Amino acid sequence: MARRKANVSAGGDGAVRQPRQHSLVWLQGLLCGALATLATPTALLLGVLLGPALLAVTFDSEPGRPVGRSVALFSMAASVRPLKTLWLSGHTMQVAAGLVGDLQVVGTAWSAAAAGWLLAQILPIAVRTVLEALGLARSAQLKAERARLVSEWGLEDQAEVEP
Amino acid sequence: MANMPPSSSRSGDSLIANQYAVDRARPLAPVGGLAAFPAIDRASGRTDLIAVQIQRQLAPRPRLMQMLSTPLDGMLAPLAYGSVGDACFAIATAPPGPNLLARPGAWSESELLDCVLRPVARVLEHLQQRSVTHRNIRPDNVFQAVPGQPVVLGVAWTAPAAMAQPALFEPPYSAMCLPTGRGDGSIADDVYALGVLLVCLALGRIPHRNLDEQAVISRKLSLGTYAALAGDDRLPPIIGDLVRGMVAEDPEHRPTPTLLLDPASARGRRVAARPPRRAQRPFTIANRDVWDARSLAYTMAGEPEAGINALRSGILEYWLRRSLGDAQLASHVEELVRQRNVDAAPGDPDTGSPLLMRAICLLDPLAPLCWRGIALWPDGIGPALGAAMGTDSDTTSRLQDIIAYEEIGNWAAMRADRCDFAMLRVESRQQRSWLQQRGKDNGVQRLTYLLNPLLPCASPLVANRWVARLADLMVALEDVAGRVDHNQTDPVDAHIAAFIAARLERRVDSEVVDADSKSEEVQCLAPLRLLAQIQARLRSGPLPALAGWLADRVGPAIARWHNRQRRGEVRERVTAMVPHGHLTPMLAVLEDPAGRSADVRGARAAETTLMRIDRELSEIANGAAVRSAAAFKVGQEIAAGIGLAALATVLVVAALG
Repeated sequence: MARRKANVSAGGDGAVRQPRQHSLVWLQGLLCGALATLATPTALLLGVLLGPALLAVTFDSEPGRPVGRSVALFSMAASVRPLKTLWLSGHTMQVAAGLVGDLQVVGTAWSAAAAGWLLAQILPIAVRTVLEALGLARSAQLKAERARLVSEWGLEDQAEVEP
Repeated sequence: MANMPPSSSRSGDSLIANQYAVDRARPLAPVGGLAAFPAIDRASGRTDLIAVQIQRQLAPRPRLMQMLSTPLDGMLAPLAYGSVGDACFAIATAPPGPNLLARPGAWSESELLDCVLRPVARVLEHLQQRSVTHRNIRPDNVFQAVPGQPVVLGVAWTAPAAMAQPALFEPPYSAMCLPTGRGDGSIADDVYALGVLLVCLALGRIPHRNLDEQAVISRKLSLGTYAALAGDDRLPPIIGDLVRGMVAEDPEHRPTPTLLLDPASARGRRVAARPPRRAQRPFTIANRDVWDARSLAYTMAGEPEAGINALRSGILEYWLRRSLGDAQLASHVEELVRQRNVDAAPGDPDTGSPLLMRAICLLDPLAPLCWRGIALWPDGIGPALGAAMGTDSDTTSRLQDIIAYEEIGNWAAMRADRCDFAMLRVESRQQRSWLQQRGKDNGVQRLTYLLNPLLPCASPLVANRWVARLADLMVALEDVAGRVDHNQTDPVDAHIAAFIAARLERRVDSEVVDADSKSEEVQCLAPLRLLAQIQARLRSGPLPALAGWLADRVGPAIARWHNRQRRGEVRERVTAMVPHGHLTPMLAVLEDPAGRSADVRGARAAETTLMRIDRELSEIANGAAVRSAAAFKVGQEIAAGIGLAALATVLVVAALG
């Protein structure tokens, strides 16, 4: 009883409680396990089509996983049509295997993933180029204004304006 | 000389007061010690006139000139006074004949009484009634038309009082002073000079002509004036009796001019003057033996170091007590030395001079103010400063000390029964306050011009003109403006600043101080402000050359305008005003308080804007990393947004299809 009280008091000394990091992973694992068990064809098809997205999410170490997110969204968009085909074709393993073996289906999904990755790489560069251009334009405008003030008031001749 | 022929040559003529022509090509014999020339009244054709040239640093006596505006029989009086070019002349009636030096031989007693004593006494009586003195009575300044006629006194107003008097014709207390520091004195000093003149005429020669001034004074002090003058010579009895009283050592013992008009009464007047006490043994000071207190005082005044040493060593007090036998005087001197030792401020380098000045007052109650080897009377300090200005820095320094330490007041306190102590104390304080004025005029120069109302400006800028009035100054500056480098020469130098400060009725202290300011703007505007005031006050008329000179020197004031366009406009307006020659509008354009205030406000706003721009430019220059991070984030978001839009579109299509 005394040890338990000691643990409670130690826990209440202002120590920040660590978030339970692994609970969501377990939940995701449970859902994936349930999907693999209850809807094996769907799991097979999504596993293949969303494989690059899973890899991108796994290897993206940036906060918020922006590249993985982009790749996942594009992969998911490319997986809707094969998934609908699977479900409308009886949701069997044969259909799933056929779709997985269809190079056009897999190629489209993986190309979409590649497009997502490419956009995630190119768009920041494009945006930065635009921002730099805007900065240069503003800088030129400010320098012109500055030159006019200096010329009109002769401010560079003196440290400060005296009354 | 009375019938001086009209000038035959006009080559050297010049006009005084637009009326009198001076023929400078034919100089006459000096009159009153100053150069003289023939003069002609152009209006009336009168030729019995002379022009006496006034020396630049020796200011005339304004009060005497004013009093003689009503002519006085028996004395040469000024008819006009003015300058032509760089010279100044006083026009006077020509003397009726040669001076008394030209007549050899001894004069008879009756002639001395009728032709010299009574006429001169009558003049002196009139002068006394007008509260002025002559102070220039000596054989070469007294004239006689023909023997048997009354003599006429020469000029006395063209230079400081008694400046040209030899020591023989001055009482010792005046002769020992700086020539220009003898002051107006009293009518008793004129009576003294008249007495000496009578002796010279009675003897038919000037006694002690071979002695120098110092020897004459020493002889007078040790023997008494009468004994020193007459010596073993016998004077006519009446003259002898009269002169004995007229040259009495104490001015209070001399007969008045009124009394001299009746020689019989004056002769019968007896004043019981105590003879000077003579010591049993001499006191040796500065290798000289002195036998009495007044001679000792005179020697100490001329040898200040030796005098101070004698005082401090105590041997002087011992001599006074033991050899001279004046225990009371010895006690006073002892008390003075003790008191000065107590009062001396620690670290004061010159405690001896005040001690010596006071000791001389004790030893010789008639003595003038003696300070560091010079002597003068309080009312002579102005002419003395004028004479020493720019030429004798040593004397100027001593005179400055006298004023700075208020020694005139201290001297008067030592002999309060012989002077108006309260007035002298006030005057010394007033002079000290003037001396302490700080500014371009340098205090002492302003004081010099204040104390000498007719002294011309001694600025090198106007050296070729006689500038005695502010109106003359403006004309002189207008004239000199075309001959000087405007950028190198300030139109208001120290002398001109002092001259203006002294002559302008209203106070211009701030402008004079500004003229010496460290701020270029304030400094360059001060001359314009000063001269604009004079031009407005005197209504001097247009002065385009001076305006151009001043306009060329107001660059720093124009540069203080911040707005370049406004600066250019101000410069153009000032330049446009130059040909009109009016200084006040120029000053108004340059000062313009409302415009200046708006200019400063605008400059401040511009400065604030400039700082904001600089800050923003700096942010742009240093913001590459920030922009890169923002671009990465925005790019990723756009990519995610496109992906989300594609997913939504596919889902909608799948749902509808």
